[in-house]
Amino acid sequence: MTDYAKDYTADELMVCRLARELNDDSIMLNGTVSFIPVSAAMLARLTHAPGLTWVAGAVGVDAQPGSILGNTLDPTMWKNCVMYLPQLEDMWSYVHRNTLEVFCIRGAQIDKYGNVNNSVIGNFKKPKVRLPGSAGMGDMCTLDKHILIWSTTHNARTFVEKVDFLAAPGYFDGSDKREKLGMKNGPKLVVTDLCVMDFEPKSKRMRLQSLHDGVSLKQVQERTGFELIIPDQIPTTEPPTKEQLRLLREVVDPKAMRKIEFRGSETKV
Amino acid sequence: MAAKKENKVMSLAEAAKLVRDGDVLAVQGMGTQIAPLAMARELIRAKKKDLTLVHVVGGIAADWMIASGCVKKVMFIIVNLDEFGMANNFRRAVEAGKLEIEEYTEHQILTRLQAGAKGLSFGVTRSGLGSELLETHPETTKMIDCPFTGQKVVAVRGLEPDVCLLHAHRADMYGNVQFFPRPIWTDVDVFPRASKKVIVTVEEIVDNEEIRRTPEHTGIPYFKVDAVVHVPYGSHPCSLFPTYAFDRKFFEAYAAASRTDEGTHAFLEKYVLTPQSQAEYLEKAGGAEALLRIRKWD
Repeated sequence: MTDYAKDYTADELMVCRLARELNDDSIMLNGTVSFIPVSAAMLARLTHAPGLTWVAGAVGVDAQPGSILGNTLDPTMWKNCVMYLPQLEDMWSYVHRNTLEVFCIRGAQIDKYGNVNNSVIGNFKKPKVRLPGSAGMGDMCTLDKHILIWSTTHNARTFVEKVDFLAAPGYFDGSDKREKLGMKNGPKLVVTDLCVMDFEPKSKRMRLQSLHDGVSLKQVQERTGFELIIPDQIPTTEPPTKEQLRLLREVVDPKAMRKIEFRGSETKV
Repeated sequence: MAAKKENKVMSLAEAAKLVRDGDVLAVQGMGTQIAPLAMARELIRAKKKDLTLVHVVGGIAADWMIASGCVKKVMFIIVNLDEFGMANNFRRAVEAGKLEIEEYTEHQILTRLQAGAKGLSFGVTRSGLGSELLETHPETTKMIDCPFTGQKVVAVRGLEPDVCLLHAHRADMYGNVQFFPRPIWTDVDVFPRASKKVIVTVEEIVDNEEIRRTPEHTGIPYFKVDAVVHVPYGSHPCSLFPTYAFDRKFFEAYAAASRTDEGTHAFLEKYVLTPQSQAEYLEKAGGAEALLRIRKWD
């Protein structure tokens, strides 16, 4: 019997669910303000995936920082690494050849084909809101990565029918555009504060996979701005184990930096 | 043109004279990590105009310079303050139509600079295929067919900035610039090589003999450097690993102040326009208490 925890919050559930998606064969790098995926990688290594390769902040190869100290691109994360990966040639070569293959992203808008927008709300030239920019997502989403999407704001403003601007493509319009452009892989999983979703292989549309404990299907549908594919069976998202929760709270992220990502979320953590 | 092996140590004000109105500046930076903040404050005090900023990651330096009216255009992959949130002045200026932008993927902007560094008119990458970003600046980014395989690739125009601004751990008077643990990030690599002039601020100036004992830390050789300015804590409020952390308190204060134009200008008046030296700036920014705090990485 797995010893599941009962007293967990949405941030902790998201970290543990993402961690389960990573395994000994995964080679992952991370970007900015990525407390949840970085916690997931560090947690996975301490539990079921000790062989997981994580390049901290895209610099520290197989780093062992112990805990999250500064932020996720900070050199404090490079501690005990085996190599500082020179960025310009080495990192970008490994990214292009897809040796570094797993990348986690989020954005202000996510649509039903897993396209993500962090550039603008409204028109690009005359935006209603100018967002920070797509940063490394614009690269990783077009360079064959296995993309894991996380979002702490599952609502109809974030989950939209069609992104206002497409700089970080998922499956475009569901057609074979990725293949035509020679792009492999793509978005695989979406983990939010309410549920977990994947992509139906034929239509490439987002499909509900599991609901977090206490969340109803109606709630998810009301807070999703497009029609989700609903499977016949809807399981509850596997809760964190007591050991996962202890490691996350006491070892990986004792300052609870991951909760910063819930600013603006309807879910309180 | 190669810079000579001569004493290039000068003041911030003298170095600022190497930047002309209308120049294209390649500016080192991350959201909260190593960036030439003292130099940025000097350019604001010198009332530079119509600058184009080339960033990989733009942060507080860009936000200050935009708020101060120094900037005409920004090229970037992201402009933000990491977990402290949006760069609000950047955001407001774009929304008001007062700032031109070119948004790229990271490898596109790096490829532009790599091409520029080699004097090539363009370079290619696969990054950003199918992205709508390509359509927003067709004069610098185009999808083309590989002449050998027919495979689609993105062609980007070579870019040679006028001046590169960097902060570093140390240098000698000739401009042999060293980084610890070593030069790693792209901006200390391709930015100076692509740029016509290079201004470096450093925590420490050391003897040439010390550089020769530790050449593995040298990232930029003297022949590429035009100005060396001694500015301890020249990256503050951003970090300079492993010496000092980013100043969380300062970032929080700026994130709050920058929600309005008035708040921004009061902040800039206090921290950028009034201090006449780095020592005065550091005193305003919390003095010894702040410096001890960031040296503890807390």
